[in-house]
Amino acid sequence: MSSEQHNTSQPTPPPDWKAEADKYWRQVSRRGAAFYRDHQQLFSLPNLGALLGGALALTWLASGVYIVDEGNRGVVTRFGAYSDTTQPGPHWHLPVPIETVRIVNVEQQRFIEVGYSSRFAKAATLPQESPLMLTSDENIVNVRLAVQYQIHNAQDYLFNVKDSEPTLKQLTESVERAVIGRNNMDFVLTEGRSEIVAEIKREIQAAMDDYHAGITIASVNLQDAQPPEEVQGAFEDAIRAREDKQRLINEAEAYANEIIPKARGAAARLLQEAEAYEAEKVAKAKGETERFEQLLVEYEKNPAITRKRLYLEAKEKLYSGSNKIMIEAERNAPQFYMPLQAMPNSHPAAPNPRTEPERGGEASADKGTVRKPAANSELRPSRSKP
Amino acid sequence: MSSRLSFLFPIGLGVLLLAYLSVFHVNQYERAILFRLGEMVGTDFKPGLHLKVPFINNVDTFDARVLTLDTKSERFLTSEKKNVIVDSFAKWRIGDVGLFYTTVGGDEYQANLRLEQILKDAMRGEFGLRTIKQLISEDRTELRKTLLTKLEPVAGKFGIELIDIRIKRIDLPPEVSSSVYQRMRAERERVAREFRSQGAESAELISAEADKQKQVLLANAQRDAENIRGRGDAQSADIYAKSFGKNAEFYAFHRSLQAYQTAFEKTQDTLVLKPDSDFFKYFNSEK
Repeated sequence: MSSEQHNTSQPTPPPDWKAEADKYWRQVSRRGAAFYRDHQQLFSLPNLGALLGGALALTWLASGVYIVDEGNRGVVTRFGAYSDTTQPGPHWHLPVPIETVRIVNVEQQRFIEVGYSSRFAKAATLPQESPLMLTSDENIVNVRLAVQYQIHNAQDYLFNVKDSEPTLKQLTESVERAVIGRNNMDFVLTEGRSEIVAEIKREIQAAMDDYHAGITIASVNLQDAQPPEEVQGAFEDAIRAREDKQRLINEAEAYANEIIPKARGAAARLLQEAEAYEAEKVAKAKGETERFEQLLVEYEKNPAITRKRLYLEAKEKLYSGSNKIMIEAERNAPQFYMPLQAMPNSHPAAPNPRTEPERGGEASADKGTVRKPAANSELRPSRSKP
Repeated sequence: MSSRLSFLFPIGLGVLLLAYLSVFHVNQYERAILFRLGEMVGTDFKPGLHLKVPFINNVDTFDARVLTLDTKSERFLTSEKKNVIVDSFAKWRIGDVGLFYTTVGGDEYQANLRLEQILKDAMRGEFGLRTIKQLISEDRTELRKTLLTKLEPVAGKFGIELIDIRIKRIDLPPEVSSSVYQRMRAERERVAREFRSQGAESAELISAEADKQKQVLLANAQRDAENIRGRGDAQSADIYAKSFGKNAEFYAFHRSLQAYQTAFEKTQDTLVLKPDSDFFKYFNSEK
């Protein structure tokens, strides 16, 4: 109730919301009360009960609506017994407790890891065991597998096998050891990988089908096949040794490729030097003989003159260069002393050798008066005829 | 009218309650036994809804799916009196549910205990007949079939239907494993040594062959070079002979003069001469 008093002389007051709301509420409740008074029969207890029951029944029925998402299936059971498998889309089932539905994802690729665990694995739920196993030649290898699978039959998956995933893991461990136990180590570690993986996949699938587990193995992946850690050093060294072998061979071939061409080169050089010698020899011979033959032609035109001329020219050249000692002594002259060591090397001034014989055939050096004892002082007069 | 309705309401509830107590349901993955005051009266119930008498009947349900027996590792002796460590598992499900209840109390755990014992006994027997190599490498289906055939009747006595028995792993005892590693290492070392010595051998052959080729090349070239030089010598001698032979005497004269010149051309030489040679013919007299 508004306590504000307005002067009628003033313009229209602003709407008072509280007053309006109160007025409206009073109207509604008056109408409601009137309605109730007029239709009292309608509000009797049984009628109310019926209404409530009807509402409950509707809710209950509505609870049977469910939606199956893409990639899923809905497995419907009636009083526990299998009734139907529904496809993706909206569905309705008779509500609990008559029918129940369980949604199963049939498209998702799930995987388990055997022999190792990556960070994607549910490491806590499944125990990890040693990845070592025996081969047919009683060697030990370290094998890690990842198995990818899918639920292909929702009904089988739910009702036939308890603990499907641990079952799959047990089977994988069993089958991988059986398959690897049949092959030797070299095959397992190298060429045999794809064949072994295919074999393992076949056998696991066969067993799962035997159990009617409703699971399909999509793929088995060999994450790793290694010799165990304890022997890896030796294995790596064997690989290094193979490479060493190749390296040694390569080095030897490089050596061969180096020295053989070099030898060929040296051989060619030897031949070339010989050929050069040959050519030189022949050319020299040709030159000398040509020179001689030209001279010969001249000689034969006038032998005596040519002869004399050549002789004198030769002797002239011969005597002009060296030291000379002239001896006019007769035969049987006493031996004399000739200090040859004191002779200078250059052209000496010609002494007058004729003065010397007065001294009794004593020879003198051109310049030197030094009479030094020499190692070979005694000298016979030259008797070579030119 | 309202009194009638209010009378109907509790009656309706009572009917519902009665209905609830008179039925039981068996799930798709279950087996059930119906008891009357402790006595088994029915075992063959398909999944779904069934009737019972309230309070007098009660129902026990059991997991009808494939169940697992996972044994602990156990040592077995092979036929060569060697030890192996074996881990295995069995897959089974309830066959005769009544028998299952009476023998192992319908308890999965109890059933597994019993099953483990008989399994181990059977395996001990079979392992003792085979060598390690057979156990590891031979097709394990045969062993599996033998064990299943042997154990199916025994398991059946417990109401158990055996589906599969598999060896999960067969390992050598740890003390033997280390000698296996030793052997593996030694074998790899042998392989490594072989590679390296093969490499050395091939390398030696290749470089020796190369050396030989080099020697042969050089020797042949040397021989050919000598031939060529000889040829040159011969040819030049021939040219000289042919040419100088045209006038042997003049050649002797001319060549000797050259020789004298060359022999005495050094200015350090000293000649001791008698002036009675032809050269000095006009030396002392003008005639």
